[in-house]
Amino acid sequence: MDNVLLKTINTTKEFGQEIKSPVLFGINLEIQAGEFVSMIGSSGSGKSTLLNILGALDRPTTGEVIIDGTNLGHLSDDQLAYFRNRTIGFIFQSHFLLPQFTVLENVLIPYLIYAGKAPTEIKARALDLLDRVGLIHRKDNRANAISGGEQQRVAIARSLINHPRIILADEPTGNLDSKNTQKVFEMLKSINRDYQTTFIMVTHDHALAASCDRLLKLKDGLIIEDLDLLKQPLPKEEDRCAPSILE
Amino acid sequence: MKNSLAFEFSLARRFLEENKLQTLLIVLGIAIGVAVMVFLTALIDGLQADLIQKTVGKAPHIVVTSAEAGSQEAVKSVDGHKVLMIDTTQKDQRPIGEYHTLVNAIWADQRIRAVLPVVDGSGLIRRGQVTRGVLLRGFDLDQADRIYDISNSVIEGNRKPINNSVLIGKDLAVDLGVSAGDPILLELPGQDPLALMVDGIFDLGVSAINQRWLVMDQRQAAALLGIGDQVTSLELQVQDVFLSEQIARAWSSKLPNYQLESWQETNAQLLTALKSQSSSSYTIQFFVLLAVILGVASVLAINAVQKSKQIGILKAMGIRTNSVARAFMIQGVVLGLMGSISGFGLGIFLTKIFILLAGQQLTLLLKPLSVVVILGSTMLSATLSAYLPARRVSQLNPIEVIRNG
Repeated sequence: MDNVLLKTINTTKEFGQEIKSPVLFGINLEIQAGEFVSMIGSSGSGKSTLLNILGALDRPTTGEVIIDGTNLGHLSDDQLAYFRNRTIGFIFQSHFLLPQFTVLENVLIPYLIYAGKAPTEIKARALDLLDRVGLIHRKDNRANAISGGEQQRVAIARSLINHPRIILADEPTGNLDSKNTQKVFEMLKSINRDYQTTFIMVTHDHALAASCDRLLKLKDGLIIEDLDLLKQPLPKEEDRCAPSILE
Repeated sequence: MKNSLAFEFSLARRFLEENKLQTLLIVLGIAIGVAVMVFLTALIDGLQADLIQKTVGKAPHIVVTSAEAGSQEAVKSVDGHKVLMIDTTQKDQRPIGEYHTLVNAIWADQRIRAVLPVVDGSGLIRRGQVTRGVLLRGFDLDQADRIYDISNSVIEGNRKPINNSVLIGKDLAVDLGVSAGDPILLELPGQDPLALMVDGIFDLGVSAINQRWLVMDQRQAAALLGIGDQVTSLELQVQDVFLSEQIARAWSSKLPNYQLESWQETNAQLLTALKSQSSSSYTIQFFVLLAVILGVASVLAINAVQKSKQIGILKAMGIRTNSVARAFMIQGVVLGLMGSISGFGLGIFLTKIFILLAGQQLTLLLKPLSVVVILGSTMLSATLSAYLPARRVSQLNPIEVIRNG
């Protein structure tokens, strides 16, 4: 099975105008459609930078990024914005809901940005998604009138409204307690299973990383480990002989 | 694919609704600015219109005289002293001969509402020990009423002089101590004193006229001055006083042998004063507008910074830079619209209160053009003042916001 959804070719990134500080050194990566990939690495390893580039939020200094057959380097800023809107869903550590809108409206926003008004079937989809994250009863609440865990679940529903091919999750459970963490992660896994949505998730939570299909470890701007956990599951954390991959 | 304008509107609306107090305060700020401008404009335009009406309402707007000046200076003996008499209010001109043709030609101009052939001269009136210099004015009273409304200004005696009788001004009558029916003695340069009867006394509300005018029939004046069927000037009133200068210029080129002087030229000083008054009013309004702009800009700028996280996520979700900017511009337009409309109402209210409190007869004039200029400039300013914060916020980098969030 070779169904590459996302591909980077020698992707590098430098920051700074006069004093260049390179962050990524030639990333070559292929991600299959439907994969659930976790990305780990200490801060400064370049994982957030890589995620932003994969999410079409930032452009690489050199190299190419091809997502769903589109070479992002060939798109203008506005085209890139539209591409993000159609192809990529985002879930961040902070939910970033718009407090001026209701829960249901927040879920619809990625659709409304281009369409202005949501037809009945899109509203029905939004309600389905809210049902899926268990928040149908909160649909008319203001987004800032619900708990943090609930807000993160609204953000998940929102990321799905436009049927994205990929969802990029930047520490989606970073602000949640362990109970909510497990709940949100299960939700992401079930979405991945049901809709074949590809996930790339940055996390510090080793247990979560170990539960994904594939694990990438970044260090000093390079991918130093790329493990297929479906073929080679990591030993349980409590196993004292576990390799130090997660350290 | 274009971003939806409908979404930009709903974004702008929600942002405005979110902080109702803040929105109310900006609208109030704009409204007060607009109210001040409306009030100031109405007051100053009203005062100026009043002043101009007083100046030219009962006065000729254009005076036509013959181009070559003649001299009507005269040395007279008054009470045994030699006196040089020069009429200072009216430049003595060579008389106009064929004035009937001229009157008909000018009457054909739709912009002219009154034409009055006038015979002017100067003389002295003597009664007992009192002597006063007067301006002898001969014209047809019916026609003169179109400019001066003398018939309705007669406060004593007859409304129309008959043969050898005259109308004089109120102040002149007081100076001479005469009332209607009394005789006076008129001395003209180089002529024997002539006995006339004061038939009526008028009050035109202008002391220069009330002190100096001696009004009689045109023919009689012409006969006294010995100029036959001629006049010394034509006095015109036009429909729109502000077109006087233009009309005078137009006729000047058609009538090279005549000299036309508009009230604007005669009252150049008054006009300069009015212009300075207008300029100071514009200056005040400019700074009021500037304060409004700064207020709107600063509040929107703070507002934009407060919303940077939300804008960051919207950008991640694919909203375009221009779309964010437009959502903020829309806020500016809406604030400007609400502020100018309520400010306009407030301004009208203020002027009404002012009239009520001032007690005296005050004209407040709000020209449609002024209204358009005030509302237009406020709207434009509010939109422009939203532009800078809009631009800044729209260029936010979503990564920075998300990373620092």
